[in-house]
Formats: sequence, C-alpha cells, structure tokens
Amino acid sequence: MGTVFSFDIRAPGVSAHALQGVVDWLHRMDAMFSTYRPDSEISLLDRGGLELGECSPEVHEVLELCEQASRDSGGYFTARLPGGLDPSGMVKGWAVERASIMLQAAGSTAHAVNGGGDIQLLGKPQAGRPWTIGIADPFRRTALATTVAGTDMAVATSSTAERGQHIIDPTSGRPATALASITVTGRHLTTVDAYATAALAMGEKAKSWITGLSGVEAFAISATGERWQTPHFPTPGNPGN
Amino acid sequence: MVNMLRAQALPRADRVHGRIRRVRPAAVLWLVWAGAAAVLSLWWFDTPNVSGLGDWLTGAGRITGLLAGYAVVVLIALMSRIPALEHGVGTDRLSRWHAMGGRYAVGLTVAHGLLITWGYAVTSHTNFLHQGVVLVLSYPDVLTATVAGLLLLGVGIVSARAARARLRYETWFYLHFYTYLAVALAFSHQFSTGADFINNLPARILWSALYIAVGALLLWHRILTPLRQALRHRMRVAQVYAEGPGVVSIVISGRHLEELATEPGQFFRWRFLTKDSWWAANPFSLSAPAASNSVRITVKDLGEHSHQLRYLRAGTRVVAEGPYGAFTARLRRSRKVLLLGGGVGITPLRALFETLEGAPGEVLMMYRASSESDVLFRSELDSIAAARGTRVHYAVGPRRSGNANPLSARRLLAAVPDLAHRDVYLCGPPGMTAETIKGLRAAGIRPRQIHHESFEL
Amino acid sequence: MKRAIVTIAATIAGIVLLLGFKTHPMPETTSTGPVAASSPTAGASLQPSSGPTATGAPATGAPATGTTTLTGTTVETQYGPVQVQVTITGTKITDVTAIQVPSGNGRDQQINSYAIPQLTQEVLTAQSAHVDMVSGGTYTSEGYLTSLQSALDKIGIK
Repeated sequence: MGTVFSFDIRAPGVSAHALQGVVDWLHRMDAMFSTYRPDSEISLLDRGGLELGECSPEVHEVLELCEQASRDSGGYFTARLPGGLDPSGMVKGWAVERASIMLQAAGSTAHAVNGGGDIQLLGKPQAGRPWTIGIADPFRRTALATTVAGTDMAVATSSTAERGQHIIDPTSGRPATALASITVTGRHLTTVDAYATAALAMGEKAKSWITGLSGVEAFAISATGERWQTPHFPTPGNPGN
Repeated sequence: MVNMLRAQALPRADRVHGRIRRVRPAAVLWLVWAGAAAVLSLWWFDTPNVSGLGDWLTGAGRITGLLAGYAVVVLIALMSRIPALEHGVGTDRLSRWHAMGGRYAVGLTVAHGLLITWGYAVTSHTNFLHQGVVLVLSYPDVLTATVAGLLLLGVGIVSARAARARLRYETWFYLHFYTYLAVALAFSHQFSTGADFINNLPARILWSALYIAVGALLLWHRILTPLRQALRHRMRVAQVYAEGPGVVSIVISGRHLEELATEPGQFFRWRFLTKDSWWAANPFSLSAPAASNSVRITVKDLGEHSHQLRYLRAGTRVVAEGPYGAFTARLRRSRKVLLLGGGVGITPLRALFETLEGAPGEVLMMYRASSESDVLFRSELDSIAAARGTRVHYAVGPRRSGNANPLSARRLLAAVPDLAHRDVYLCGPPGMTAETIKGLRAAGIRPRQIHHESFEL
Repeated sequence: MKRAIVTIAATIAGIVLLLGFKTHPMPETTSTGPVAASSPTAGASLQPSSGPTATGAPATGAPATGTTTLTGTTVETQYGPVQVQVTITGTKITDVTAIQVPSGNGRDQQINSYAIPQLTQEVLTAQSAHVDMVSGGTYTSEGYLTSLQSALDKIGIK
C-alpha cells in the first residue's frame, strides 16, 4: 500500500502485544492487497494466477464491498481500473477500520487510527472535547484548509495531489480534475474512504450526491481553490456524532 | 685526486647548529596511537546510539572514514623529512612504516566507501547501487571524494611490490603525487558530509589545524629548506671519475658546508639539475667525511637513473636535502666496532672508518666483494687502516654458501674472534645484509649490537 | 601476509567492539511502523497514560499570562533521540525549538535543515486549531517525513 500508519491511543490504552498484533495484521493485508507486489493475492487474481475461490476471505470481503460501493456511487467508484484490478480506493479505509475494531476488542475506548490520511476515530481524546482533525490544504503543504471534529467518526480525504492524478472518471476514462481534494466524514471508514474516492472522480456532481446520503458529509476544494461543504459537515462548532 | 679533500676535514666536535633533536621510534608510535584514539573518541562522543544493521554499517563506515582521514595525514607527516624523525627513527624505518601504513590507509578508504554506501542503502531501503549513485550525485563533495578514493586505490595497487618491479622509478614517483591530489580532493567531503564534523566547529578547527600543520611541515622541510640550503651552499659538480667497474665518485663543491653538520655515515638526497634528472632526489651516502667546501659521494650504476650520473658535467648545479640517516657514530654502544661492508655498501663505512675513535684494534673493517676489481677505495682504506694500526680484512670471491661463505657465523668468528663484544655496522645489498644478519645472530651477536641501514622500501 | 591478516582482524574486532558499546536495546515506544516498506516512526502516545508524552503540561493548564518554557522528555526514535522545547505565552504555544534531533549521519543533517523550520511552522499552524491528527496531505512515505502528520507524530503535542 505504501502507506504510513499513525496510532493515537488514549486511556485506558492497549497492551503492546495487542498493538503489535494489529500491526502484524496490517502487514499481512499489505502483502495480500498490494498492487505493487506481483505475488500479492490481488495481483495474482488479476493476472489469472489465482481463482477467486482460492483467495483469502479478506479478499472476498473487500471485493464485495467494492461492488457495493460501485453500485452506491453509480459506477464512480470501481475496483476495475484500466490498469487492472485495483481495490486500493477501498482497502486503506477498510484496513484502518478493521484495525480500529481490533483495538476496541483489545480494550481501547478512545483512539484515532490514521492510515495515509484516512482516519477512524473512537471515543474522546480527553474528557470534555471531541477529536479534532485537521484537513491538509492541497495547495500549501504546511497549512490546514479546515478542521473537523467528532467522536466515533471516520474521516477520509481524497486528493489529486496524492499520487498525481490517479483517480479516473469512468464516464470519460480520463483523470478527474475538477476537485483538488474532497474530505468525506461518516461513521465507518470503509464506506467513507470509498465514497471519497468516488466523489473525487465525480467532481462537481459529488456535492449533490453526498448531500443525498444520510450519515455522510463532505468538504471539498476545487482545482481553482473554491471551497464548498455539505450542510451538516462536522466542524468544531458543530461536531459529528 | 682524493687528497684535495683532506685539506679541510671537518672537526667532529664542531656543530654550528647545536644539538640535532631526534625522537625515539617508540615515542612516535605512541603519538600516532594516541592520535588515533583521540580521533575515535570524536566518533564516540558524537554517537548516542547504534541499533540495527543500517546503523552498524554506517557506524563502521564513519569509523573507517575517520581513521582513513587520520592515517593519510600521519603518512604524509612521516615522509615530510622532519630531521627529528629522520635522525631518530631512521629513513629506512620511516619508509617501511609508510609502506605498511599506506596499504592500511587504502584499505580503510575502500572499506569506508563501501560501508557507508551499504549502511545508507539499508536505512533507506534501497539497493546498494542506487544508494551509491545517489551519494555520488547528490551529496556535497562526494563525487570528488570518490575520485580521490579511486586515485588512492590506484596508487596503492601500483605501489604494490609486484607492480613496482615492472615500473620505471619515474612512473612510480609521479604516481605518488596523485596521493597529494587525492588527499586534497577528499578533504572537503569530510566536513560537508561527515557526521562528526558537520555540526562540530571545534572538531573542524582541530582537524584543519592538523592538516595545515602537516602541510606546513611538508612545505618547510621538503621544499623551502632545500631551497634555502641550495642558495646558501651553492653546490655544484666539481669532478666525476670512475672509482671501479660501474661505480663513479662525484665530488661536489660548495660553500659553508660545515653548517650542514653532517656526521659520517649520513646521506643526502641529491638533486642534479639537468634536464632529465632534476625531478628526482636520490639518496647517496657521503663516501668521505665532509669538508667545509666539498663533499664526495660514490654511486653504483644500478638503474636508469644512477646510470646517467656518470655523464654529469662539471658545473652542474646540485640541490642537496639533508643530512639524513641514523647510521652514525651515535649508534655505538661499545668501544669495539666491526665495520662490515659489501659491494657499494662500503661507501658510508669508508667515512666511518676514517672518523670513528678507537685505539688500534678497536675499530676493524671487513669488506666483502665479488672480485678484486669490485673493491672500492682500496688505497684509501689501506692507508686509513695503517694509520689506525690495523688491516682491512678483504673477503673477495663469488658467492658461496655454507662454511665457504665468508659471512657465515663460523668464518666471521674465525676472522674476528671477539665478535661477540663488538658493535657491527653493516651496509650492503639487501640479500647480503639479510644473510649476514643471520650469520651474526648465529654467532651470538644480539640484535641491538647490529646497526644497519637498508633502503628496500 | 600474516601481519596483514592480523591487522585486518584487529581492525574489524576494534570496530565491532566500539559499535557494540553503543548498541542499547530500544525503548518500547516505537513499534508501530508503517505497513509498507517505509521507515518513519509512528505516533508517540502509546503509553496507557493520559496523553502524548512530550509536553510538560497541557496548554490549558498554563498560566493565563506570562511566558513559560517547557522541555519535553526525550523520545527515542529509530533515528535517534528527539526532544522539543515549547514556549507558551498565555495559553498559546508561541515557539517550538528542537533541542535534540537525530543527527547521526549526513542525511539526518540534510533532512533536519529543511524539516526543523517546517516542523516549527507546522506545529504552530496545527496547534492554533488544536488538531489531533491530519487527514490528507500525507502523500507517500517520503512525503510523510515532511508532512504535518509527521510533525504531530514526532512531538505528540497539540
């Protein structure tokens, strides 16, 4: 995945052993899903080296979720890219959410897990205030565009600056260019991550699409620098969940 | 032709420059080791922690780098012709140290380059080749340092004995200039990329001071002092004549030569200013005690260079660096001395024979030569011997082994029964010297009684 | 030849000894590395205690007026120790100084030369909004090093 993961675990915390377990699991998922590794299950599946029936249950789960997201987004999210099978737009968020669930099972009641900018939150960092997440400004690396606050919330940001312009608009077949970045919030990162990818591909149509979804909000910066957000976007004055 | 030299023989007690300082070899070695420890302590105090393969490799790379940078400056210092070193340690021993140390320094340099590249590659999870390219192309001064390292390696390979046997002396000589170039090229990367210097101004100051000091010593002793001496003494070739088959004596005139305070047994490095030979400074011992207005050297035709000397014209300017050499009366421990010479090695012994103090029988000379015509200075030696109330023992004849070898333990003892009580001054071709030492040891002579000077590098 | 072998062996032994003396086991703070093959350390607050490790006191606990300087504990990272000093005026952080940063090799120096000023800038930017984490802008693992999230992870202060 080529991703950097950050963990911020508050009291009561988890044992180092449990945390190591989560990290190990993430490494296994990387081995399974990385499109940069020719021996990952995803790569083999794509090239026909593996049948779907021979793949791990996680691969099944992710691919199924991708199909669902594709239906939800009218095809704007898809794992079937021109270059081959690539569920990366979903895998990161899914993995982070799973990691968060594992930490919860290990006893954590307050943590934030950040995988390459996609964040799953649980509980509160301190009594009396929610988690506050800064959204990076796609044009100025050291600045924040805005902040979002919440508990038990997921935040995912998709931007064209991330890896060049890799998000393809399926209707035109060319890279999506209308939005510089879009941040989607919701309850579950798996969904939110996929929706952020879809929204970036949609461009300006994303606003009405997200507004129409319940439990999901968005904030976006267009390629020309204008900003918009959906009505209930969880700013610090109006935190989510 | 010899008598013109007798006119103004130097009184030995006369020293215009006062005592010549000399350092003991052990002291020099201690100083070098102490310096190395100080250099390593720089790394020690700079390094809080080392963990993981990448850190270990990089750490080893930094240590070898520091030691290499230190080693080269020590090596240059050893060859700066500092009189205290030359007289105390001896030119031949300095050359041997330089040769051994040179190989070590080249090894350290190569190890440093490889370890750093590998260490960086491990820490940044790239492969060795890619990391190497990144280092050379984007780190400050690493490109020049790499060139320097390759130069040094090249000089090292060429200097290796096998290679040198096939090389002209001239080529090998020029090649060593590249080491100076290499040191200069590599210097800047130490400060701009070296972890122990980047943020450490005092360290940079001290390191620079070290290099500058050695550079100054080099400049003073190898360039400025000979120039000064050349201007002061104005040496010129006075006469060249054959001393024996393939051997010539060269008389050199000059002024104020007593200021050089040359002791019998010492040598100079002679630079004859002709078109072809000006660049080389070859060591030849004085074959007679120095006078205040002339000196004499005796040279055997051993190679391209010494062969040219027979054609020197009178009036040719000469620059002499020195005097150097520890092969003098100072080494003497006992009243009884045996001067043992072979071939052209008789040259410094001839000077010592004339000047070493001793009652009749205390200073003896033995001369090994392959044939009668190879015996040099016969009349001079005989008249000196007569004046001393003794005779020269000539052992003339082709090489023999076993008991027929005049330099075997048994024959030596037969010729000189009280050999065990004598200091032996030994000078000759390398093979003869080595063999003779074996014979002397077998005859019961202890190593500290044997004094020899050999120029094998 | 024998002398050469002895010299080489002695040199290697000496270097190994020197390095060995400097090898300490790493403290438990940093086991959560990234999933892929990239190098940086992850979040600082793994202890089951109340908050991130570095600052001496949370901003709300500082006096309402006047300037206080707090020095954080040294955090051992994979590259070496990191220690930060924070100047608080009123209830705002007004300056951040990196007292100790990994400087074990030339690369750290190069990174530090542009990362440290950036760190200061980023912290001041992030702290004005009291941000716990940053979404987006994390880019690749190389980009992480100079990102806002990296700044937050390294010093773990709000």
